[in-house]
Amino acid sequence: MGFLIWLEEGALGIFIRESLWGYPIVLSSHAVGMAIVMGVVVALNLRVLGYAKDISILAYDKLFFIGWIGFIINLVSGLILFCNTPTTYFFQGSFQLKIGSIVVGGILMKVVMNSVRGDTSETLTKVASAACIACWFSAMITGRLMAYL
Amino acid sequence: MDYDTYAPLASWFEATWLGGQMREQFWMFPMMETIHFIGLTFLFGSLLVIDMRVIGFGRFINMKAAMKYIPVAIIAFAVNLSTGIAFLCADPFRYFPNIAFQWKMGLIVIAGINALWFWFGEHKELCQLADGEDAPFRAKVIAALSIAIWVAVIIFGRMIPYVEY
Repeated sequence: MGFLIWLEEGALGIFIRESLWGYPIVLSSHAVGMAIVMGVVVALNLRVLGYAKDISILAYDKLFFIGWIGFIINLVSGLILFCNTPTTYFFQGSFQLKIGSIVVGGILMKVVMNSVRGDTSETLTKVASAACIACWFSAMITGRLMAYL
Repeated sequence: MDYDTYAPLASWFEATWLGGQMREQFWMFPMMETIHFIGLTFLFGSLLVIDMRVIGFGRFINMKAAMKYIPVAIIAFAVNLSTGIAFLCADPFRYFPNIAFQWKMGLIVIAGINALWFWFGEHKELCQLADGEDAPFRAKVIAALSIAIWVAVIIFGRMIPYVEY
């Protein structure tokens, strides 16, 4: 709790609360980063689930790199947004679910990429892929609902 | 925009059944927002595959197969047009005069023209590309424009609540 208060009262917290354009600009970056991460996750997993089969999954590697750029944009903008009211967000159920979904969704993305390259059965790969999409959507939905719940 | 110009249209949107539901059911607005975000994801993801392939990033994505993401993008756009109309019906007098909303709508029209140009001008030729083959420069410009315009659409959309006076 001490750390959360320190964050909230620190320079980033003050900036995001008091600067006129700080919040909307960082929030917009968060939306663009989200579009990139979610876009790559969805496009890639659609392919793993069997859509557009003529594309080699390995050809998505470069796109995956773009996904990482989006993830970094959102990690940075997310941390800044968090400093707005960390003492509230940290204990908010929707925020906790969001972070949990990102962690599990990230691990599942790694699992999917490994099984695509390895000799994991197709069924198992598809189950992991569907779960991966579900986790990332859960992250997005709980993130949106943080404004309401 | 002048109040007298948009007021009749705004009143019409406001009086629709959908508008009433959006205002009366507390869960309608967040639900539509969530669906709008899901649509955004499918739309932008599809564009990333096609446009990045054309630009030359991920050149080994089979170009013809990548076009299969076009119907995904169109369905996603239809979803976001519908949910977008729902927001508009909820509070048209808020959206019509909003500068970020106006820019967003204008950019979507430009993105649409750009997409038509892609479909009628470049699509056929692009489908002939071998894996790893570079797309013509003209097509790369369209693809880069597409990404840039949609990023701007997302930014202006997100700005709508913050430019009210």
